[in-house]
Parts: sequence; C-alpha cells; structure tokens
Amino acid sequence: MKNPYLPLPMRLVKHFVETEDNLIHTFTLEFLKEEDEKSFRYLPGQFAEVCVFGVGEAPFGIASSPTEPGHLKFSVARVGVVTTALHQLPEGTILGVRGPLGNSYPIEEFKGKNVVIIGGGFAFTTLRSLVTYILHPQNRGDFGKVTVIYGARNPGLLLYKEELAAWEKRTDIELVTTIDRPVEGWSGRVGFVPAVTKEVAPSAENAYAVVCGPPIMIKFTLPVLEELGFPPERIIMSLENRMKCGIGMCGRCNVGNKYVCKDGPVFTRAQLNQLPNEY
Amino acid sequence: MLLLKKEQLLAWLNKLTQAYQVFAPVNEEGCVSFKQIEAGDQCTLDYTNSKVPPKEVLFPRSEYLFCYRCEKEHVELKEQIDEHKKVIFGLRPCDARSFLLLDNVFRNERFQDPYYLTRRKNTVLVGLGCNQPPATCFCTSLGSGPFATEGLDLLLVDIGDRYVLEVLTERGQELLSGMELPAADQEAREAAQKVKEGAAVSSRVTLEGLKSKLDVSFDHPLWDLIHEKCLGCAACTYTCPTCHCFDIVDEAQGNEGCRVRSWDACMFPLFTLHGSGHNPRPTNKERFRQRVMHKFKYFVDNFNATACVGCGRCILNCPVNLDIREVIAEIQGTEVRSNKQ
Amino acid sequence: MLIKMQDITKAMQEKARELLQNKEVELVIGFSKGSLPLRYTPCFIRQPEEAEKLAWGYGCENNLAVYLRKRPEKMAVIAKGCDSRSIVELIKENQVKRENLVIIGVPCRGMIDRQKLSRLLAGKELREAEIKDGLVAVQGKDISASFPLDQLLYDSCLTCQHPNPVLYDYLLGEQVPARGSDTFADVAGFESRPPAERRSYLMKELSRCIRCYACRQACPMCFCEECFADCSMPQWVSKSSLDVQANLFFQAVRVLHLAGRCVDCGACDRACPMGIDLRTLTRKMVRDIQELFGYTAGISLDEKPPLAAPIKTAAGHV
Repeated sequence: MKNPYLPLPMRLVKHFVETEDNLIHTFTLEFLKEEDEKSFRYLPGQFAEVCVFGVGEAPFGIASSPTEPGHLKFSVARVGVVTTALHQLPEGTILGVRGPLGNSYPIEEFKGKNVVIIGGGFAFTTLRSLVTYILHPQNRGDFGKVTVIYGARNPGLLLYKEELAAWEKRTDIELVTTIDRPVEGWSGRVGFVPAVTKEVAPSAENAYAVVCGPPIMIKFTLPVLEELGFPPERIIMSLENRMKCGIGMCGRCNVGNKYVCKDGPVFTRAQLNQLPNEY
Repeated sequence: MLLLKKEQLLAWLNKLTQAYQVFAPVNEEGCVSFKQIEAGDQCTLDYTNSKVPPKEVLFPRSEYLFCYRCEKEHVELKEQIDEHKKVIFGLRPCDARSFLLLDNVFRNERFQDPYYLTRRKNTVLVGLGCNQPPATCFCTSLGSGPFATEGLDLLLVDIGDRYVLEVLTERGQELLSGMELPAADQEAREAAQKVKEGAAVSSRVTLEGLKSKLDVSFDHPLWDLIHEKCLGCAACTYTCPTCHCFDIVDEAQGNEGCRVRSWDACMFPLFTLHGSGHNPRPTNKERFRQRVMHKFKYFVDNFNATACVGCGRCILNCPVNLDIREVIAEIQGTEVRSNKQ
Repeated sequence: MLIKMQDITKAMQEKARELLQNKEVELVIGFSKGSLPLRYTPCFIRQPEEAEKLAWGYGCENNLAVYLRKRPEKMAVIAKGCDSRSIVELIKENQVKRENLVIIGVPCRGMIDRQKLSRLLAGKELREAEIKDGLVAVQGKDISASFPLDQLLYDSCLTCQHPNPVLYDYLLGEQVPARGSDTFADVAGFESRPPAERRSYLMKELSRCIRCYACRQACPMCFCEECFADCSMPQWVSKSSLDVQANLFFQAVRVLHLAGRCVDCGACDRACPMGIDLRTLTRKMVRDIQELFGYTAGISLDEKPPLAAPIKTAAGHV
C-alpha cells in the first residue's frame, strides 16, 4: 500500500524574494531521487504539500509547469507557521513534498479553445504553471488565442516579473497587466482587475476563462465574465480552503460533499453554484 | 452457533492475548474504554457501552505517522505502521458497524490510508450483543440493532451462565481454534432468541425524508437557533464512533521529529481558519450545521450511508444535553424551503 | 422544603413572559426539561408564549453565564449563585453590559451529580427519577432505589458559600442558607500528600483527557479569542492527547489563567465527558487566591480583581 503521507525529499535550490514587500518568496526545489522525479507527474492547477521538517507541512499550488522538468516551483506568502519557517530557509535545505494532489485545470477541454486567464495578487501561481504549459512549443498549437489579465496593487507586487516581460514581447499571447493606482514609470494599465477585464472584453466565443485571485476580485470579476457571455460551465476557479491531509480524509476542506483537496481545488463556476458558499 | 461457558471466557481471552493484541472494555474509575489487556481478568463485559468508542483502536486519538532525522544531504524517514494482529473483544454491534462506515473514509478512489487500513485488515471483531440497550440508543433507526452482526467476525449472546457464539467469518472461526466448543443446543438457541426478543431499543429517529430535507435547507433559518446552546466543544465528535476528522502536526526537537496525527473536530473554529484570517465556517452556527450535514447529508451523498450508528454517546456526553434526536426531529418538523438560487 | 421547584418554575415562566411581553428584553436564557432523567438543558426563549418551556429543578447544572458574552440584544438570564458570580466577573472584565442584562436570580439548593448517582447504581441505567421530601427515588431496569438528596449533590454544591445570587434584578423563591463554611479541607488534604503522589494522581486523571475542550468551552471565564492551547505560533502545548504531560500542562495553565476569576461553579468538571477530576486544581487556585489576596471572585462589582489591584508590599503600593 502506497503511503500518501510520506513526503518525497527535495532540495531547496533557489530561494527568491518575489515581491517588493518581501511577503512572497519563490522556492525552486529539486528532487533528491531520480525515481521520485519520474513518478511526480502533474498538470497545471494541482498542488502539493511542502514540509519543513520539524515545523510541519502546508499546501501550495505548483507554480512550475510539467514542461519544466527537473524541479518544482512554489510561490509562498508568509502567513503562518510553515510559511514563516520556509521564508527563513537557506538554499540547500532538504524539504519534503507530497503530491501531486488535487485535480488540475481541465486542459483537455481547453484544447482547440481560446483561454482567458485572469489573476490577481499572489494567486497567480498555478496560473503561471498554466500559461507556461500552454506556451510550450509542443503544446501551443493545441490552444487558440491566449489572453492573460493580471493585476496587483502596485508593480512591485506582481509575481514573475521577468517572465511577464518575456510574455509581453510574444505575439502568441495577449498579456494585460494592471495596477490599482498610477505609479511613475508604469506603462501597463491602471485599474482593478474586474474593470480592466471589462475594458479588454475578451470574447466568450469558443473560450474558457480561468480566474484566480483574492475573494473580492473574484466576486466582481464573475459578473463581468457573465456579461461577456461566459457560461458558468466555462468559468474555471480554484479554491483555497484550509487543508491538512490533502487526500480527502481529514475532513476540514469540504464544501458541501466535495473535498477541495481531492475533488478540487479546480471547480467550474457551474459546480460551485451547486455547492454551499463555504469557501 | 456454538456454546461458550462463562467460566471458559477467561481462558479464551488469556489465550488470545498470546497471539493477538486484545483490546477489550476496561473499567477505570467508572470510565469504560477499550484498552489493550494482558490478561482476561482485566476486562469487563458488564457494561453498557464504552465512553470513547473502539474506533480509537484503529484510529487512535494521536499517532505517529512517521519519524524523521534530517541530515545535511538527506533525510531519513521511518514509517510507523502498526502491523500487530489485533482483536477488539466485546464491542457493541453499533460500533462494529462504525468501522464499515469509516472504511469509506480511509480509502477513496485515489488514496489509501495505510495506518487505519493496515490495522483494520489485521483486526478481528468479536461483538457482544446488547441485552439491555440503554434509552439513549437508537441503532435500529440506522438499520442496525442490538444483535446485528454486520461487520463482526463473532458475536457473543449472553444467555446467563453461557454465551451463544455466532461464528460469522473465517477470521472469527480462527479465534476459536483449539477450543472445541460444543454446538449450541436447542435450549441455548431458544434462550438466545428470547434474549434478543427482550432487548428492545425504545428510542427512534426518523431518517426517512431527512436527507431530502437537508438537500434544500442549507440556508434555512432553522440553523440560526438550533445550535444556540452548543458550547462548541468536541465531546460529541470525539466520542462519536464515526467522526474521523484529524489534524497533522510536527513534533520535533533539533533535527529529529515525528509527524503526528491527532483527532480534530469540525466544532473548533481553527479547524477551517485560513492563513489569511478568512474562515468559511466563522461561527458556531456554520460549524454545527456542518456536523449535522456531514452525518446526514454529505456522507449519504458520497457513500450512500448515514454517518451515525445510533450509539447515543453524543447524547450522554454533551455537557448541555443537546440531543441529536431532537435536532433530527426539529429538522424533520420544519417546512421545506427552497435553497438559495 | 418551603419552596417547591414547581412554584419557582411557575414564577420563572411568568417573569419571562412579562419581560418579553413588555419588550424589556428580547431574549430569556434559562433551562427547560432535558432529554435524560434528572437533566435540564439550557434554553433560549424569544416569544412570550414560549416561556412555558422554562423549568427549574435539580438538574439545572450548567453555568448560563457562558452564553452572555457578545450578545447585542437586551436579555434576561436565570442565575443561580454561581452563575451570578460569573456574571459579576464578566461585567468587571467588560464582557457583559450590566444595562443590557436582566438577572433573574434563583436561590439554589444544589444540583444533582449524575455521575455520583451512576456510581451508586453501579453503572445500571437510570430510567426515571422522582424527587420528594429530600429523597431521590430512582427507577431503572432491575433497580429501584432511594437516596438522600444531599448524597447526590455535586461536590461544588456541597461546599457552596453563595447559593443565593449575589447580583440580581428579581429573585424567585426564598433565600437558602449557605452550608457550613468552606474550609478547603480537600485542598489541604491534597497538599499534604508528597509531591510525587500528587503528580501521579493528576497524571492518572489527565491520562483520560481526550482534548475535547469541553472544560474550556463550558467555563464562562474561558473566552480568549485564541486559547494558548490552540496557538500554533508558537505552539505552547502539544496537540496530542496521548502526551499526558501536555494534558496536565494545558489544564494547569488554564487554571492559572482563571486566577481570581474562577468562582468554583464546577462547570468544567461537569462538562468533562471523561469524568476527570478538575476541581482539585481549580479549588487549589481559588483557595490560594483567597489566602494570598483575600479575594473571592464574583462577590462584588466594586472590588478590583486581585491581579488588577495594586500590590501591597512592605514599602507601600507598587
């Protein structure tokens, strides 16, 4: 019987301060064992439990893409015990990782469709995975137009700035970045994500929308998408309930009869409409 | 059906403790719980039911998942899977049924919990029928009964000076190897039948229609008041044979430590509190609703069974006498209103 | 007995009805008949016509002060001596607004300890009970017995010095005389045992702890937003209930935290599903606070809590 509680050993090879407020750090981890790397097969949208030995473990969306073999990447906000410990770790530390856990974005369904990706703040992690996956030369042809709308309070709080700059230059992705208030030297848009989404007005025809962000952003973006004609079946969201086991047993992350860790974290809006609002 | 004289019981238990870890009801200062016994005389079969259900034998209050030692270049993990052969002796049929329900939880379509499942596989269940079910029992409403055999390997029926022993599985049969017990004679069978007929479960809940009411009552105002006296402790969940929520934490010193899982409860605010400070179940109302919904709706949705065996422990142990039978009756009595759209 | 429980029940219902009808309060918190023999259960009454649910008896064992915090509405509460003392402390700690609260005091003759009864019945199930002339007649399958009421009361009731509410707006029934003075002989007895013995007794008791926190939740004074036992940063105490030392540590700190606030109502002890003796610890704290500070919790609204009052030293006030 495979023990789903046992973490795979990984080495922290890069510890990077992602945002100017020092609240988000990005961790790049390498598998210590080759067989673990081979067995860890994941898709964008899945998460893993990362453990700091001696402190505990916590779930994080995987920010790297399966098209980037050899490592896993997590961008982590400092909010609790495990994340605080993580933020203090030197490169070279051995960590543990359990996963991949949860479901993924419905990539097969996205094929042949346009994909509108909307993110806010530090909830861009698995969206980075998704964009990177789609943009990979082997995959890009499978998908239609890709539009990314990504907002943060100010430029310094955007994640993955170098990659955003690279995407900006490409012609096979439309990237719209926005910040809440004007700042000198900012050439992107200014305004909240829902308003910018309305301005950009991505077509709902033959398209899926993926939305990740703080609850307030989600709340105001959903009506915009609805107005643009996205049916609830084609609006994809990812939930972030508190989790422990990650395998549907410990009982805390349920929304109705669904466990976010096992049946999610990715749900369509149509699915969520059927569930109580406990997330 | 076999016949076991009461004076043979001790010898049998003593024999079992040689080959198995035997967990049996032990009375400590009036508090009966399933403890591992070294000898048969440590156990008492003269009890109504244990305070904490025997689920703790397979799913302990706290257990190590693994221990570890971190070195600079690697980490050593040591799994702590308990593979001892066990017998749970003298458990009530309702509690045996709880294991059938818990099996659903600890094995899903993608993952298996090796801690519970390994113990489960290695554990033989010897039931003791309830000659005098207490007034707080409502097992018959849940499809069980004081002499139900579901989930058991052996069932003892107390007929006074002897037990009629119902052998239900091969594993049960194995426990009797070398015992050479006589078959129950006509008189013993009749006595057992009489005991069973005399064991009336007087308390009832109506499950019929409950699920369909709960299906549409998440936003019903009944939840505003029904939880009001609940203190938000875990006396009900921790003494419930089907409650299974747990927490996982590390306990470590220096570079060595263990990952520990302990019981946790949906009645605690921290259970669902996000790191961000947001709590999807912020007040006692949402938490109490979760407990009821989980048992009588979500579990039914997922496994087509109610997560309750009618043992009555939550009724006996609630510090404010919040009685689940009354909660069910109140839900049943409310007018169904359509859910939010 | 001079005043019958039924008369108090009737007076209680009338007072509740009147307060609700006159819109003096929106809510009355009291007791109604419970679902087990001898058991009463907290109940919340909002409509005058529901007032008939209220009842009074020897099973009104909960301390209703636990329900009073953070309620915006005007309300009335049924208060025994101990409940009223907790209310006094809650008012002093700014947890309850006196002007929002109508206290319906009820002199208390003590509450029946069902665990004691259960021990007397040797585990046999109690099905029915009737109390008459200071005797409790109990019926069950294969049992029929009668016990003097005093034999069945909670220990906390047997040492209770304040059976009459210390603070009230209405008083139902006649004041009852306090029992002989509380000498804390139990605490002295415990203290006289060698440390190792005391420790092993407590460890044995706390080995049954399942960390359900019923003790904490039932206590009107245990209201920290984040209990140290739940705190994860830092984690003060192991979450594992198999760590008996941690169970004892939790309880010891909880009791310390109640210094000068615990009114010895026994709610924690009663709430414990595992029947752990918690009062040995709480009583020791209550006695020490009396000895060290001359303070008895919940007696007066004006007296400063010992830990908030200036400490007298040889050199004067600090």
